[in-house]
Amino acid sequence: MKRFLLAFLLCSSAAFGQTEVEDVKSFTLDNGMKVLVLEDHSIPNANMYLFWKVGSRNEYPGITGLSHFFEHMMFNGSEKYGPKMFDRTMEAAGGSNNAYTTENVTVYTDWFPSSSIETIFDLEADRIANLALDSAMVESERGVVLSERSTGLENSNYRFLNEQVKAVAFMAHPYRWPVIGYESDIKNWTKEDLQRYFETYYAPNNAVVVITGDVDYENVKKLAEEYFGPIPAQEPPREVHTVEPPQLGEKRLVVDKSVSTPNLMMAYHVPETGSEDYYALELMNAILSNGNSSRLYNSLVDQQQLATSVFSYVPESFDPNLLYIYAVAGKGVEETALEEAITAELEKIKTEGVSEKELEKVKNQKLMELYRTLETINGKANTLGTYELFFGDYKKMFTAPEQYQKVTAADIQRVANKYLKRENRTVGVLKDLPEEEETAQ
Amino acid sequence: MKKLSIFCCLLLMCLQVMAQEEFKLPAYEKFQLKNGLTVYLMEQHEVPLISVSVVTPAGAVRNGEQPGLADITADALRYGTENYTKAQLEEAIDFMGASLYTSAGKETAGLSATFAAKDSEKALELIKEVLVKPAFPEEEWEKAQTRLLAQLDQQKESPRAVIHDYYDSFVFDEHPYGNTDSGTKASVKNIEVEDIRSFYEENYHPAASAIAVVGDFKKAEMKKKLQKLFKDWKGKGKPESINIAEVPEPEKPRVLLVNKPDARETTFLIGGPGISRNNEDFVPAQVVNTILGGRFTSWLNDELRVNSGLTYGARSAFDAYKKDGKFVISTFTKNESTEEAIDLALKTYHRLHEQGIDAKTLESAKNYVKGQYPPRYETAGELASLLTSMYFYDFDESFINNFQEKVDALDVETANAVAKEYFPAENLQFVLIGKAEEIKDEVKKYGELTEKEISADGF
Repeated sequence: MKRFLLAFLLCSSAAFGQTEVEDVKSFTLDNGMKVLVLEDHSIPNANMYLFWKVGSRNEYPGITGLSHFFEHMMFNGSEKYGPKMFDRTMEAAGGSNNAYTTENVTVYTDWFPSSSIETIFDLEADRIANLALDSAMVESERGVVLSERSTGLENSNYRFLNEQVKAVAFMAHPYRWPVIGYESDIKNWTKEDLQRYFETYYAPNNAVVVITGDVDYENVKKLAEEYFGPIPAQEPPREVHTVEPPQLGEKRLVVDKSVSTPNLMMAYHVPETGSEDYYALELMNAILSNGNSSRLYNSLVDQQQLATSVFSYVPESFDPNLLYIYAVAGKGVEETALEEAITAELEKIKTEGVSEKELEKVKNQKLMELYRTLETINGKANTLGTYELFFGDYKKMFTAPEQYQKVTAADIQRVANKYLKRENRTVGVLKDLPEEEETAQ
Repeated sequence: MKKLSIFCCLLLMCLQVMAQEEFKLPAYEKFQLKNGLTVYLMEQHEVPLISVSVVTPAGAVRNGEQPGLADITADALRYGTENYTKAQLEEAIDFMGASLYTSAGKETAGLSATFAAKDSEKALELIKEVLVKPAFPEEEWEKAQTRLLAQLDQQKESPRAVIHDYYDSFVFDEHPYGNTDSGTKASVKNIEVEDIRSFYEENYHPAASAIAVVGDFKKAEMKKKLQKLFKDWKGKGKPESINIAEVPEPEKPRVLLVNKPDARETTFLIGGPGISRNNEDFVPAQVVNTILGGRFTSWLNDELRVNSGLTYGARSAFDAYKKDGKFVISTFTKNESTEEAIDLALKTYHRLHEQGIDAKTLESAKNYVKGQYPPRYETAGELASLLTSMYFYDFDESFINNFQEKVDALDVETANAVAKEYFPAENLQFVLIGKAEEIKDEVKKYGELTEKEISADGF
C-alpha cells in the first residue's frame, strides 16, 4: 500500500502521494459505461460515484433547472425499489448518499460499508434501468426544490448576485441560467419533460462510474457486468453546439437587496477546463485569492480595509465559462472603491507580472490541495471522476503537478493580459438602493 | 486517512465482511510535558501530511462581561508573534501550502493545522509561535476590529448563520452557555488589546491544554521535537476553573420571533434541554436521534420534506457540552407555510413519545450509525481533533472501540426509554427568524412571545 509516486519533483526531493496511477484500474462495459476502481483498505468502507454528462448546459428555456430536479427524482422510486425505498434500503444497509448538479454534470454519491456493495449495485442499476416517475412524488418534489432555491437566495448573497451576473455575462450559452432553474420553470415542467430527459441522458454510455475504498477489483468488475451490463446503450445525446459570441464591451448591473454593505462580483470570460491556458489560469487565480498572503486578500482586506472578504474562482467547465472575483465591502466603503482596488491589483499582474517566489508558493498550494483530496476515499473518487470528465482522462490527475510545474511567470502575465480585460468582463453590484433610485429605475 | 490496527488488517484479509465490526482507533501515545501540556501522537503514513490539533479551555463561557472576547483572542493569536509579523506568518504558512487556523467555540479554543511532512520543522515552529509567543499588536487588532464590526452586521444577512446564537442567548440566557461565539457590536467596540492579552494570560495554560499530532512522522523524533519546542511555554498553573452550574429547566414554552423584514422564508429551531458529552447514554441517544432527525429517511425529513414538500430539509441534533447540552429540531419553510411546518414538526416529534420506535426502524438506524462511523475518523485532521476532544471531554479510545458494541446492545425497550428520558416533551423553546408581519399571529400560540429586530445589536 505504501508506494511513492514518481511523477513529481518539486525542488529535488518531494515525493508526493502514495497512490500511483497504476493503482487505478478501469474497464468499459459493452454498453459503453466506463468504470474506474481504486482499492483502498484503510477503512472498512467504500463509495460509488456516478458521473453523468448532463447539467444545466443541456437545458433550454422552459426546462431550466430540470437537470437538478431530475437529480432529485432519481431518489423517488423505480421498478423494484418504489418511492422512498432507495434511501430506506441504502440506509438500512449502513449506507448514505447524496448528489450534486452543476452547469455540466450530475453526480450521484453513495457511501457505504464495503460489505453492502452488492445492495448498492442493485439500487443503482434499478434506478438507471427502470426509473418510475411517480406523479405525486413529482409534485411534492417541486415544493422541495422551490424551498432549496429559496433558502439559497435567503442565506447567500453570493448566490443571489451570481444568478443575476450570469444572466448578463452570457447572451447565448445555456450557462446564462442558474443550475437550480427559474421559479416558473420549476413550477411548470411536466412528467413528459422528465421522461424525455431520462431517456436522453441517463444511458450507460453517458456515464463514468468511480468506485474507491475497501473493495476487490475483480468483484467490482463482476458486479458491474451483472448489474450495469444489461442496461442498453442509447443514441448519444446531441452536442451543445451554442458558442457564446465574443463580448463586445463591459457589461454592468445593479441588484437591489437589503444588505449592510455592497457586494461586488466581477466575471471575466475564460476558456473551458482542459484548454491549454487552464493551468496558468488556475495558478493566477490562486495568486489572486488563495490564503491571507494572496494579492487580493492582502491588499483589499488587510492593507486597505476595503473588504471584509474576497475570493476568486473558476468553475470546472466543458465550455468556456467565467472567472469570478467576489468581494464584500467593509463598513462605509462604496463598491466603486472596491472595484477600483481590484482592478488595480489585476493591472499590476498585467504590467509587472508575478514573482518567482509567488509562483512557487501557488504551485506548492496546488500540490497540497491534491494531497488533501487523496486523504479520503471520497476525495479520491471525486477527483478521479472530475479529471476523467473534464480533462478526458483520469490519468491527468497524476500529471497535474507536472503541468503546474511547467507554468512560468510569463505565462501568468500572458493569461492575465489575455483575459482580464475590461471589455471581457461583467460587473455586478448587490446593494441596498435608496428609494429614489428604485423608483427611477 | 488511517490504517487499522494490525489485528484488524489481518482480519480484513481473511474475512472482509467482518471488517466493519472491527473498527478500532489506531494506536497512539499519550504523555505530559513538564509544564503539564498533554501530548498525543499517532502515526499515519498513507499520505505525507501531518495534522495538528490543540485544545485549551478558553471558550466563550469565559467571556465574562465582554461578549466575543474568547473568539477575538483566539483569532488574535495569528496577528503576529515575537518573531513574526502577521504578514510574515501568513506568507510562511501559504508558501508551504499549509493551513493554520485558530478559533474559539463555546467551551474551548484551539488551533488546527495541516502541512506536508517535509515542512514539519517550519510548521511546528509557527504553531509554537502562535500559541506561546503571540504579540497582539495594536494596529492589527484595530484592523480586525473594524472588519469584525462590519461582519457582525453582514452575518445577519444569513438567518442560518445566526439562528443558533439567538437560540443560545434566548434559552440559556444568563448561564455561561448563553454566551454566544460571536460578540456584540457594543462589546467589540470597547475591547482593547489589553483585554485580549489578559484573556490570553488567564486562559491559555499548558497544564490545561493538549496538542495532538497525527500523520506521517516517527513518534520518537516527534516526541523530542515537541519537548524542545514547548518546554518554554510557561503559564502560571492551571487557569481558574469556572463553575458551570446546571442549566435550569425551562418552566414554560416560549417563542422568540426575530423580525427580518425582507425574509422570504422562516428559519426556525424548536428545542429544549439536551445531554452532556459524558452522559452514559450518549450513544443510544445518537441512535434514537438518527431515527428522529439524523438522516435522510428520518421521521422529520420524511414528513416535512418527502411527504409534504414544505422544506428542503429538516433535522434534529444534540449539541453536547461538558456539563449539559441542548437538543434542537431545525428547518425552514416559505413564509406562508410557517404554521403548517411547525405543526407538522411538533406532531412528528411527539410520535417519539407517543408511538415510540419499532424494531425494524431501530435495526436500520443501528446499521446506519455503524456504517457511517469509520469515515468520520479517516483523515489525520479528524483523528487529531478526536484526540483533543478526548482530552477536553475526558473520554478515551474505549469510546471509539466500544462504539459498535454499544450500538449493537441497544434494544427497542431501551431505545424507547432513552427517547422518553432525553428528548424533552414539554416546555419547548421556539426561535424563529422571519417576516414578523406575516407570521406573528400564527406563532403566538406556541408559547410566551418575545420579539426582536434582526437589525438590533447582539442576539
